[in-house]
Amino acid sequence: MFFHWLEKNPFYFALMISVVISFAGLLEIVPNFAQAARPLSTEKPKTVLELAGKNLYVKDNCIACHSQMIRPFKSETDRYGKYSLSGEYAYDRPFLWGSKRTGPDLHRVGNYRTTDWHENHMRDPKAMVPGSIMPAYKHMFTNVADIESAYAEAVTVKNAFFTPYGPEFKRTRAAWEAHRPKVIADAKKIADDMKDEDVKKAVANGEVPEIVAMIAYLNSLK
Amino acid sequence: MNALTIKALGFAAILIIATIYVVMSMDIDLTDRVNAITMGGAIAIAVITAGVSVKYINQMKTDTATGDLMDDNWDGIGERTNELPSGWAYTFLAVFFWSMWYGLIGYPVDQYSQIGEYNEEVLEHKATYEKKYENASPEVLTSMGKSLYFVQCAPCHGNTGDGLSGKAQDLTKRMSKAQILDVIKNGSNQLKYPMGMMPPGMASGQDAEDIATYIAGGLKGEAPASYAACTSCHGADSKGNAGMSPDLTGYDNTLVSHTLQNGKKGIIGAMPSFKTMITPIQEKALAAYIQSIAQ
Repeated sequence: MFFHWLEKNPFYFALMISVVISFAGLLEIVPNFAQAARPLSTEKPKTVLELAGKNLYVKDNCIACHSQMIRPFKSETDRYGKYSLSGEYAYDRPFLWGSKRTGPDLHRVGNYRTTDWHENHMRDPKAMVPGSIMPAYKHMFTNVADIESAYAEAVTVKNAFFTPYGPEFKRTRAAWEAHRPKVIADAKKIADDMKDEDVKKAVANGEVPEIVAMIAYLNSLK
Repeated sequence: MNALTIKALGFAAILIIATIYVVMSMDIDLTDRVNAITMGGAIAIAVITAGVSVKYINQMKTDTATGDLMDDNWDGIGERTNELPSGWAYTFLAVFFWSMWYGLIGYPVDQYSQIGEYNEEVLEHKATYEKKYENASPEVLTSMGKSLYFVQCAPCHGNTGDGLSGKAQDLTKRMSKAQILDVIKNGSNQLKYPMGMMPPGMASGQDAEDIATYIAGGLKGEAPASYAACTSCHGADSKGNAGMSPDLTGYDNTLVSHTLQNGKKGIIGAMPSFKTMITPIQEKALAAYIQSIAQ
């Protein structure tokens, strides 16, 4: 009965065909995808300071000009290092592959650039790379990074996606206050390698300028 | 040969000539295997199209159907009760069995991967590269070093190697006085030379000043008496005892290689290790180029 009805209704017939074919597709795609999207065993979730930097990366739209995806071609690995694996993005929410390379790829920039280079470059890209068309990001030296939201993000992805943050990541103000000195300590490590006195002073006062979070994030890209 | 055959041959000839014309005007390299196969394929398609069309159009003019008509017919269109053509039937059976085998057993699972192709590309390149540049002349090394320098080194050390007015090591000179004083004061073992750690405080006060001035000045003139503390490890000629310790006069091959391998952190800032990015031949090339830009 059902087939007679189906044969006379082309729309529902087409719909059923798509369901059947999609089901086969699901069986092939989903298990492979689930396997490849598992985090690499060496992969650690980003620290709160690095997460704050990642949020700045999103906010200032670095992805418009920079990719984070090294393809397995010799020409790319010669310049940027080892090709990217999908497991490396497992804790990235959202992942920041990008699809446009006006500037270079940044997926392993932490391997071949240092804190002081980023400091000079963010203030005046042309001073480091004469032909560069990257704009200067001077505001990052004075704006303060939102580390509290970054902590909230860490707690959220821990609860929602089981990202392996430690048991001290809790949804209470006390937990955040207890974690805050750790973030400042991470920031101080970065600021120690920097030359800007105002940035050093701000970190000593318990504030994290955006540039520090940004550099922490860029250094974590390895 | 009838008129149709001649027309078809003419058509095929035009297709072939057009293909060759396009290939010539696009400057395609026919010694490349893939290009040659594509070209051969294009010509074969032109010939086969013409040939098959001629055969069947001719056949349609003379062919008549044979065999008895079946009793059933659909709107006046009937079938004849002929046997299947044997060629068609055997081909059908062969394809049937082949597709069963291919689908269930023979499908090349894991025969291709992007990473596999990448690995092959890298291995192949490595083999030819190392053979080609095994005994490269100094000029070849310098020019290779120059192009490498612009990709990997220039972003920090600047296009001219001057270190972008103090933002990185000035590669046209060896060391500044401040850097030498810092190393004498704090010692160093960052470059992992066979000689091992240089202990802190080998000299101090005026002695250290004298040594720093002497080395920063390019080791010209009379060495200060306190310089004897340095020569015991860095060699009487200050060239580093044949690779046992850093060369103080310039950037010799071992200094460039050790720095690229280990990275270095000094008073200017930090340089990361380029261990995974630079091969031994490239290290030599970079050393050759850096030596060529020294003042």
